[in-house]
Amino acid sequence: MVNLRYAQTDTPLPSLEWRQLSDAERRTRVIDVLRTGMATVNGVVAIAAAKEDGQIIVNLVEPQSASKRGQLLLDLEALLKEAIDPGLAVWLDPLGDRNSLRNLRGIEVKA
Amino acid sequence: MSAAVQTREGALILDSHKLSHHFDRVQAWEAGERIAPVSVDMALTRACGAMCSFCYAMMQESQARSSIKTVHALNLVDDFATIGIRSVSLVSDGESTLSKAYVPFIQHAAELGIDVGNATNAWEWEPEKIEQVLPHLTWVRFTVAAGRPESYAQIMYKGPEHTEVFDRAIKHIKYAVDLKKRKGLKVTLGIQMVLMPQFKDEIIPFAQLGVDLGVDYAVIKHCSDDEQHTLGIDYGKYEELYGLLTQAEAMSNEQTKVIVKWSKIRDGDKPPYKRFYGPAFLLQISGSGLVAPSGMFFNARHSKLHIGNYTEERFIDIWKSDRYWRAMEYLASPAFDAQTMMGTLPIQHYVSVALDRHAKGIERLQPATGPKPLHANFL
Repeated sequence: MVNLRYAQTDTPLPSLEWRQLSDAERRTRVIDVLRTGMATVNGVVAIAAAKEDGQIIVNLVEPQSASKRGQLLLDLEALLKEAIDPGLAVWLDPLGDRNSLRNLRGIEVKA
Repeated sequence: MSAAVQTREGALILDSHKLSHHFDRVQAWEAGERIAPVSVDMALTRACGAMCSFCYAMMQESQARSSIKTVHALNLVDDFATIGIRSVSLVSDGESTLSKAYVPFIQHAAELGIDVGNATNAWEWEPEKIEQVLPHLTWVRFTVAAGRPESYAQIMYKGPEHTEVFDRAIKHIKYAVDLKKRKGLKVTLGIQMVLMPQFKDEIIPFAQLGVDLGVDYAVIKHCSDDEQHTLGIDYGKYEELYGLLTQAEAMSNEQTKVIVKWSKIRDGDKPPYKRFYGPAFLLQISGSGLVAPSGMFFNARHSKLHIGNYTEERFIDIWKSDRYWRAMEYLASPAFDAQTMMGTLPIQHYVSVALDRHAKGIERLQPATGPKPLHANFL
């Protein structure tokens, strides 16, 4: 059921504590939660970056079908929000266009 | 939101929404029901022979491109009809006219009472194909990046010397305009310019081309960019173009209306809403077969919002799944910020503005009264 009561609610931002951690410390915190918190994600997802602005960039170790990867990543994000900081959000590295003709434009999808 | 534009065939709404004509679904949504979308925007392939410099499809690559067979496309139409989808537009992230499923998809949808619209560059939309689909289409919108052949070829293809693509498109558009007249078809024919600020010199020639072709409308819209600003659109520069855009609109005549999507151009790169309610009413499906709430989420970056692929399982099962509704609920939750987590002003923009104002109590949606506008089933 879609809940309409959040129409005016601000999206949480990462806490000061998170922002003051070093890149390595943030990464370690995420990896620790993965190891202990969620068997379905451990070994399936690799952490590429844990950024100061709350973006957690991950890669899928093995390809996952569209029906599975969405659930997996939403589960992961919910876990990280709960265990570390509600201001975290999970993303994958973007993919560039596979259309060879359009690629002649030289547009590179920014991460 | 802007009012409808009166054409010879009825009121045409391009710069707003038509949710009031689907108030039953608004009420069901508000009551917490799992509603079917009113409309689906999709492509039958990710392929395209053009290389438009403004093309959002460059930012919409997901992990895999499934080959969409005709049987998949026809099953999809059956599922749309079963759950109560009222219209489908073949736009999204590929040139659907290239797909073998193109003609049967349109014909089958029309048989089942689903309205179909199509955006195309018309390069491979030849007379035989036009004859097969035009009687079954509610509207066709041709992507025409500029009014002059050299500029058109530069923006949409390899360079200004390749004007053959312009000639080909114009020949096919003229064929459709003529066929509509000969057979008295109800289809609305329009051309669209996706305006990047640096193409301002093309505004007036584009409007003139629309008038010369005798299409029903020539529309100019802003260019979407992703949240990382991959295309580098400077939204601050649109304001400098207001004079030219107003001049273009004044070129309208009885046959051809020149329309500017002012609300999108003025809204720039930041939507007024934080939550993204529109996809429950206007769903998008990629030419890769991927079902995600919006084209803004097709790229692998947004994999957490990937719901399924209709070449791997029936669409009706995807729609009925908890996965589908989890994605919609996520977009309505504080975890999602439409102002920072997606590209600028998606196809669901107008609907999302209206639903946001409805949810906040600023402007409650009301059931429609009076005659239906053209294309009422396309939100």
